[in-house]
Amino acid sequence: MCPVACRTRDLSFAYGVDPVLRGVDLVVPTGVVMGIVGPNGAGKSTLIKAMLGLLRPLNGGAEFFGQPLAAVRQKVGYMPQSTTVDWDFPARVLDVVTMGTYSGLGWLRRPGRPERDRALVALEQTGIPELAGQQIGELSGGQRQRVFLARALAQAPELYFMDEPFQGIDARSQQAILGVLHRLREQGRTVVIVHHDLATVADYCDHVTLLNRRVIAAGSVAEAFTRANIREAYEVPDADDSGFLR
Amino acid sequence: MSFLVGTVLLAVVTAVACALPGVFVVLRRGSMLVDAISHAVLPGIVVGYFFTHDLDSPLLILGAALAGLVVVLGSEYLGRSGLVTGDAPQGLVFPALFSVGVILVTLNFANVHLDTHAVLVGDLNLAAFDQATLAGISIGPSYLYVMLGVLLLNLTFIAACYPRLTVTSFDPLFARSLGIGVRRLDTVFMFLVSLTVTAAFHAAGAILVVALVVVPAATAHLLASRLLVMLALTVGIAAGGALAGFWLAYALDAATSAGMAVFCGLCFTLTLLGTRLDRRHRRRAARRQPLPVS
Repeated sequence: MCPVACRTRDLSFAYGVDPVLRGVDLVVPTGVVMGIVGPNGAGKSTLIKAMLGLLRPLNGGAEFFGQPLAAVRQKVGYMPQSTTVDWDFPARVLDVVTMGTYSGLGWLRRPGRPERDRALVALEQTGIPELAGQQIGELSGGQRQRVFLARALAQAPELYFMDEPFQGIDARSQQAILGVLHRLREQGRTVVIVHHDLATVADYCDHVTLLNRRVIAAGSVAEAFTRANIREAYEVPDADDSGFLR
Repeated sequence: MSFLVGTVLLAVVTAVACALPGVFVVLRRGSMLVDAISHAVLPGIVVGYFFTHDLDSPLLILGAALAGLVVVLGSEYLGRSGLVTGDAPQGLVFPALFSVGVILVTLNFANVHLDTHAVLVGDLNLAAFDQATLAGISIGPSYLYVMLGVLLLNLTFIAACYPRLTVTSFDPLFARSLGIGVRRLDTVFMFLVSLTVTAAFHAAGAILVVALVVVPAATAHLLASRLLVMLALTVGIAAGGALAGFWLAYALDAATSAGMAVFCGLCFTLTLLGTRLDRRHRRRAARRQPLPVS
């Protein structure tokens, strides 16, 4: 098996003339939960969007399992922030989760029994099978995140990119999502999460990339998630770290 | 077929043909884009008339639909450039195209038979005037068959692309991550919308065609909790609205498309009121219940 799930080389990106990412070199080993951590506006979401070809980088690019994205697209899953969609859309939870199976669907083919079954299993894994028939507009924030996670699971990729999966959710959803992440890791899958809660990084992730428009530090949590690196990423002056890290 | 039956059928078919793509237009929040398209097709129609001398010609409709697509692609391009934000790009592109059309009409270019009134609200009865005959028997207005063709095309497209259309409408970013060609699908879809608007222009005019596209779907959106239900409700509301609106206009001796639009608007208002009252009622009922002990 290829020990590197994905890597970027000299990836740069700008919105208009405003550079957001500069020369990002990132290596994600297979079978880890990697956190991309940094302050607001550091370009965390932008980085994974640029890697997945959802934004066009100025320079550089990403490869997955040693190949360009187009060759291995089925193996790469993406969970966007749940705030990016309109939850008034007329759909039930099961309809949304089934969307995760659409990548293998040909023209004129409807999702049928096997696709629905995969979606139901994914809902089971995220702990919300009872919501399958629920109208999506009636879900809480944590339930929405779990629906999005289930949709990514239904796709059954090898490598997951999740944009802020722990954003604005209740404790139960948090535990459920964490359980899924760790189960995926046990199965040898790789997970990259955009994360901004410094207090939980060490509990959730094995690897971390500290990002602030460029890579400040990357590696295992023990190596890279150090006081000095965090201070540099968050641009905190040396003298003032009272209450910043406990 | 009697003139009345033919015209009623034309009203219903036009309304349903417009309302079907309207479902995805409403879900993608592109309602005003339809307004922009319906104005921008005017110069296409006039220039197309110059070449074909037939307002019902498929070639004319195709050419004008391409003009409508100019608005879609042009405003997308301007929006992506990051120099103009929000829906300003549409506001920049379509008035210019519409004005070109108006000038061409007033200059009597190609002797096109369009007066300002017809451009704004269309004239269903005039559109139904040319009757088609099969083996010497009248089979209704020939324009009815143009709209039937459009309806069939829309149905086929939606049936063929249903899963893709659904996921791109709900979550375009995720759809792209699945490898779905979202931009290509959008362009084809907007071309179909443009084609539909152009074809319906004759019957509904530049302004009222927006009502035919948007209002039934917006009403169904208030009521439906699943997309297939929303599609079915939209078709029902469009057909019912066309019948009732036609009757309203007939009774009042007013413009048919205006009657249809007014009736659809009324349906929407009543549905909105109904759902609001229902929601308030349910909230009150929920408040009266004791909090669960956890």
